Amino acid sequence: MSTSDVEQRLKENATVSSVADTLSENKSAALVLPGFLLWAAFMVLPMFYLAALSLTNADQSNLFRGDGMLLGILPIGEANFVGLENYADLLFTTEALNQGLLDAFMSNPVGIFEYAFWNSMLVTWLFVIVSVAGKVLLGVGLSMVLTGNRVRGKRFLRGILIMPMGIPVIFSITVWRFVFSDARFGMLNDILLRAGLINEAIPWLQERWLAFGSYVVTEMWLAYPFMMLITVSALQNVNGDLLDAAKVDGANWFHRFWHVILPSIKRPVMFGTILTSAASFQQFLVPWIFNEGGPGTDPGQNALILVYAYREAFRNPSDYALGGAISITALIFIGAFMYVAVKRGNLAEEAGES
Amino acid sequence: MSAGQVAQRIYSDIRRIVVAPYKAVREIQYTINGLREGKIPPKFVAWTIVSTTAAMLIAALLMFPIYWILITALDPSASSIYTAGGVEIIPDSVSIKNFIWVIGPITTPEAINVSLPFVGELFSIPVPDAIGNRYIINPGAFGVEESRQSGRFIAYAKNSMYVAFWTALIGMSVIIPGAYGMSRRDFVGRKRLLYVYVLLTQVAGGLGIALLIALYTIFNMMGWLDPGANTRFWLAVYYAGGAVPFNTWLLKTYMDGIPVSYEEAAIVDGAPSWRLVYEVIIPLSKAGLATVFVFVFLAGWTEYIVAQTLLDAADYTLPVGLYALIGEYSVDWPKFAAFALSFATPLMLVYFFMQRYIEAGLSFGGMEG
Repeated sequence: MSTSDVEQRLKENATVSSVADTLSENKSAALVLPGFLLWAAFMVLPMFYLAALSLTNADQSNLFRGDGMLLGILPIGEANFVGLENYADLLFTTEALNQGLLDAFMSNPVGIFEYAFWNSMLVTWLFVIVSVAGKVLLGVGLSMVLTGNRVRGKRFLRGILIMPMGIPVIFSITVWRFVFSDARFGMLNDILLRAGLINEAIPWLQERWLAFGSYVVTEMWLAYPFMMLITVSALQNVNGDLLDAAKVDGANWFHRFWHVILPSIKRPVMFGTILTSAASFQQFLVPWIFNEGGPGTDPGQNALILVYAYREAFRNPSDYALGGAISITALIFIGAFMYVAVKRGNLAEEAGES
Repeated sequence: MSAGQVAQRIYSDIRRIVVAPYKAVREIQYTINGLREGKIPPKFVAWTIVSTTAAMLIAALLMFPIYWILITALDPSASSIYTAGGVEIIPDSVSIKNFIWVIGPITTPEAINVSLPFVGELFSIPVPDAIGNRYIINPGAFGVEESRQSGRFIAYAKNSMYVAFWTALIGMSVIIPGAYGMSRRDFVGRKRLLYVYVLLTQVAGGLGIALLIALYTIFNMMGWLDPGANTRFWLAVYYAGGAVPFNTWLLKTYMDGIPVSYEEAAIVDGAPSWRLVYEVIIPLSKAGLATVFVFVFLAGWTEYIVAQTLLDAADYTLPVGLYALIGEYSVDWPKFAAFALSFATPLMLVYFFMQRYIEAGLSFGGMEG
C-alpha cells in the first residue's frame, strides 16, 4: 500500500465521520425545521411555481384543464412552455422584437422599451424614494418631539400615535380614499373650500401627480408608527452623559443632534429604512383601492409594479403567465435592492448576526 | 414576568390615564406657585407649554382621519358622504344607531343545541315561549331600517375567528420550538436563517401579493377552492406560514433575555430537556408568548387581499366583508364607518396598551446573535 493510498483512506474516513458529526451537532435544527418548512411551503414553493408559470402561456382558459406537466412535476394543464417570451414581451415593444432588438436599438434606443412596464417600474421607484424620505423624516421628527424632556404626557401621546399600526390597512386606506375624494364633500376638499384656499373641488385622484401625492401621504401615514417605534427605542439607548457633556461644552441643539444623537440612532434607523423601503416597493392596496392604478389607459399611469401584475393576472383576460413574469421581475429587483442595501450598509449584525 | 403581572401593568396603565387630569391640575398648581415664588424660571415653563402644545397638535393632526370616522359613525342622519353636510368638528347630534345596524337583531334562541365537532348535534333543549325568540337587541326600536347587510358583522366575525384561531394554533406550535432552537441551540445556518427571517418581517405581506397568482393556482389545483372544501382552514395554514419569520425572531429575542443560569440549575438537578422547556422556558416567557400570540392571531384576523381572492362570499372574513360593504353592496358611509370602528377599536386598544412592550421588542440596537 503506497502512502497516497493511506492518505486517500484517511481522507475518506474523515469525510464519513464529519458527516455523522455534522448531523449529531445539528440535531437541534429539528426544532426550527417545522416552522421553516411551513413557511417555505407557502412562500418559497409558490415562488418557484410562479417562476415556472412565467415561462409558459398559462391563462384562465388553459391552466386548469388537462394534466400537462412541466419537467414532469409542475402541473401546467394545457398551457405550453414558451421560454422567455413573456419577459421579452414585457420588457420590449412588439415592433422592436419583430425588427430585431439590436437593429431597433440602433435606430431608436428609447423606443424599444415597452411603455407599460417601464413606466410602472419607474413610478414604483419614485414612490419608494419619495415615500421613504417622507416616512423617515416624519418618524424621526415625531420621535424627537415625543421623547423631548419638556413634553408632558409623552408616553400617552406615543400610545395614541402608535394606534394606526393596529388598524386593519383595508380600513385606513378606504378612509384615506374618502379624504382624497374628488367630490365636493371629500374631507380635504371640504376643509380647503371652507378655509377659502380653493374655489372649486380638486379632483385628487383624477390627475396623475395629485394621485401620486395622495399615495405618498397615505403610505407615510400607514408606516410612520413603525419608523417612530424603531427611532424611539434607539433614542432610549442614546448615552445621556455624552449629551450632558456636549451641553456643558456649549453645543447647541442642532450640534447635539448632529454629533451625538444622530450617530447613535443611525444604524437602527437605517435598518428600519431598508425594511420600510421594501414595504413601499410592494405597496399594492393604496393604489388599488384609490383608483386601481391611477388615471389613464390600462394599466394606469400610477400602476405600481404589483398593481400592474395583479391587473394582468386577474383582470380579463386573465394572463397568469404575464402577471407571473411581472411578479418575478419585481421580486428580482427588490431582492437585489435588499441584498445591496444590507451589504453596503453593513447592517447584518442589526439582525442578530454579530 | 407572568401573565398576572402583565394584567397588573395594564391595570396600572389604565389607572395612570384615569388620574392623569388630576395630576395635571396638581402640576399646574405647583408650577404657578413655583413661578410666584420665583423657584421655577419662566423660560422653563414657557418651553414646557410650547413643546407640549406642539406635540399635542401634531398628534391631533395625525389622528384627525380616525376622529372624522368616529364622528361619521355617530351621525344619526344615515346619509352618504356625498350628501352629508361636510366635515363637522363637533357633531350636532349623536346616536349609536349605526352601531346597532352593524350588530343587527339579536334574539334569544328558540332552542339550545348542543353539538360536538366531528360528531354533530347531540341534543337540543327547547326554550320556553315566554323567554324564547325574544329580542335582546331590536334594531327597529332604534329606528334602524333592516337591510340584508345589517348584522353581517357577526357572521364575518365568526369566519374571522375561525381563521384566526387556526392561524394562531398552527403558528404557535411551530414558532415556539423554532424560537427556542434559535435562542438556545446552535446549528449550521442558524445565523443565516435568522437574518433571512428579520429581512422578511416587512416583506411578507407584499410577497403574498406577488405570489398571489401562484397561490391561487395552487389552491385551485389542490381542490381547496372547490365547493365544500374547507378554504378557510387552508387560508389559516397559509397565514401561519407567513407569520413564522417575524414572530420566531420576536420570541427568540425575548427568550434571549431569560438568563441561561435557570436552565443550568435545572440541568444540574437532572431535569430532562422537555422539562426544561415546559417548566423553565415557557413560564418565564409568558409575556413574550402573549405578544407573539396577539401578532399571529391578528395576522389571520386582519389580512385582506389574499382572503379576498380566495374566499367565497359565504366565507368572508371581517376585512373582506368590510370592503364588500362599500364595494359590492354600496352601503351608506356612516354605516361603513360604524362597521369599521367595531372591527378596529379592539385592535387599536391592543396596540395602545402594548406600546412599551413593542418599543422594547423592536430595539434592534441591543441585540445579540
